[in-house]
Amino acid sequence: MSDGLTRLVRVGVVLFVAALVPSLFVVIAGHNPWRVFTTLVLYAFGPQGWSEVLVHAIPLTLIGLGVAFALRAGLFNIGSDGQLIAGAVLAVFFAPYFEGWGIAGLIVFLAIGAIGGGLLGAFVGYLRAWFGASEIIVTIMLNYVMIQMISYLIRGPMQETSRFWPQSYLIPDDCVLPVIVPGTRLHAGVFVALVMVIVAAIVQRRTVLGFQASVLGANPGAAAYAGFHVKRLTLVIMAISGAFAGLAGAVEVGGIYQRLQDNMSEGFGLAGIAVALIARLEAAAIPFAACLFGIFFAGAGALQRELALPFPLVWIIEASVIFAVAALQWAVPSRKAAAA
Amino acid sequence: MMDALFITALLAATIRLGMAIGLAAIGEAASERSGIFNIGIEGVMLSGAFVAAWGSVRTGSPWLGVVFAMLIGLILAGIHAFMVLGLGIDQFVSGIGMVIFGLGFSSFTARLTIGAKPTSVHGLPSLDFGAISHVPIIGPVLFAQSPLAYIALALAVATGWVLNRTALGLEIRACGENAEVAETLAIPVKRRQTACILFGGVTAGLGGAYLSVVQVNAFVENMVAGRGFLAVACVMLGRRRPLAAFLAALGFGLAEAFQIRLQTLYPDLPYQFLVILPYIAAIAALVIGHVRRGPKMA
Repeated sequence: MSDGLTRLVRVGVVLFVAALVPSLFVVIAGHNPWRVFTTLVLYAFGPQGWSEVLVHAIPLTLIGLGVAFALRAGLFNIGSDGQLIAGAVLAVFFAPYFEGWGIAGLIVFLAIGAIGGGLLGAFVGYLRAWFGASEIIVTIMLNYVMIQMISYLIRGPMQETSRFWPQSYLIPDDCVLPVIVPGTRLHAGVFVALVMVIVAAIVQRRTVLGFQASVLGANPGAAAYAGFHVKRLTLVIMAISGAFAGLAGAVEVGGIYQRLQDNMSEGFGLAGIAVALIARLEAAAIPFAACLFGIFFAGAGALQRELALPFPLVWIIEASVIFAVAALQWAVPSRKAAAA
Repeated sequence: MMDALFITALLAATIRLGMAIGLAAIGEAASERSGIFNIGIEGVMLSGAFVAAWGSVRTGSPWLGVVFAMLIGLILAGIHAFMVLGLGIDQFVSGIGMVIFGLGFSSFTARLTIGAKPTSVHGLPSLDFGAISHVPIIGPVLFAQSPLAYIALALAVATGWVLNRTALGLEIRACGENAEVAETLAIPVKRRQTACILFGGVTAGLGGAYLSVVQVNAFVENMVAGRGFLAVACVMLGRRRPLAAFLAALGFGLAEAFQIRLQTLYPDLPYQFLVILPYIAAIAALVIGHVRRGPKMA
């Protein structure tokens, strides 16, 4: 059918352009795009790279789940960076009390991280539902606020005792997520992320809350008409969305940093949105999208070390992937979209 | 402390610090009036800031840098228009892509060309109207700003005039109010919307250029630091009216100018609590704006 041929040509054009744009920038930098691509792939699937890919995929999965959960309800959470910091800060604040608690200390530590992010998310949901304040703007503004707050805390009240470096005290060993493959940074947070994928998938498909969120996203008027308490629902959804990012914060501290410091988020918030969009908001697809972006993050670091290509190349690749995945929806419309 | 000198400096700084946001807000207001939202303003501003700095360094002319910034704004907005109107991609998705692309494009290319460290660029000199620029208070505030500031004010007024007082403006507003009805009235909806998006790109590019060749005289990675998002907030606060959005941006300029002065007045206060003032102000303004005007459509 010519229809099928049209689609094939469209997909070809989209993929070509998506590969062309980052390649152009690589050429501008004086490198061979094919060599850069092979270096990236060889590193990502090589003996050192694969674990780094997963290390980056852990927070991206958690953040992506939270973003997707809110976006299904038509709520834009661009504040994952801020919520991640809120979770990390609250978890580290209480961490010293869990010394000697063993595994219970770790679980409580992670739960408090989720609460920290959840509280910030709930605040956004409250302003959105009761005061009509755009959650897009409020979440972004809170990112900048939280970056300053952690900057203050690690130079002030929560700074390490020697008061030399801008970082907090170490969390007790009980709260540390152990490395699961010796010689790498891959930590037990990978299990936390996988459990949360399952939890999110169940909430999405099998619970009243997940159903109500989908209805709210598809048709807010219908949600109100059906008697859903839309304001409370908005608050709860934003709280849960924030809780995922807050959990990511506690996991990053427990698995990687073991303390608070600047630049813990590395722009995971924006990448998490990309992950959620590429996975088409499906919880089960999010870890795979997160691994793809893990390849970009870990690979861009390798490209900078080995080929002296500036790290921000990762953002150019990410943007190309976002546009390409969106354009594929145009190239191959789903039946649902075609009917609409 | 609140003497004339202090107030003069504060107001002059208000205009200087609010202008980049204001420029971007003018075009975004027009774009949103036509029914298209661009959360990617932040990325366009970043690209504009870099290109203006690069152009200024390369050609030695900050004005050429400004022109380059307008061009990159035009190109990026063109991509947004093509994605949204041509391919039917969600505005939010395309906008987020634009934020990320702008971040990557500006930082990557900056490291390759003018260096990762802040490079000072040839800035645009402020205007000097002679004696009137030295009149106490009003001289430095009103008659000694960058030429871009006067262009911005003229743009804000002119854009508002076009939107509210001309047939073209009526068509644009019709596109934003109800695209289907506009279509049946034989208004070329997509062409009007494309024009507004492109205009938004140009003013966002200008806003970025203002940052690098007027306000800071350098390009620093991620130097826009949320001003693009603040511009979108200004458009909400100004209810999509260009002049009102522009004035809201000056409000953020005042918050910024004020917090910088508080830092020097109260060195014992952790500066982080002051740096967040404009962002807190944005949240507070959204909430207060809602309380005062009552609920409205999202």
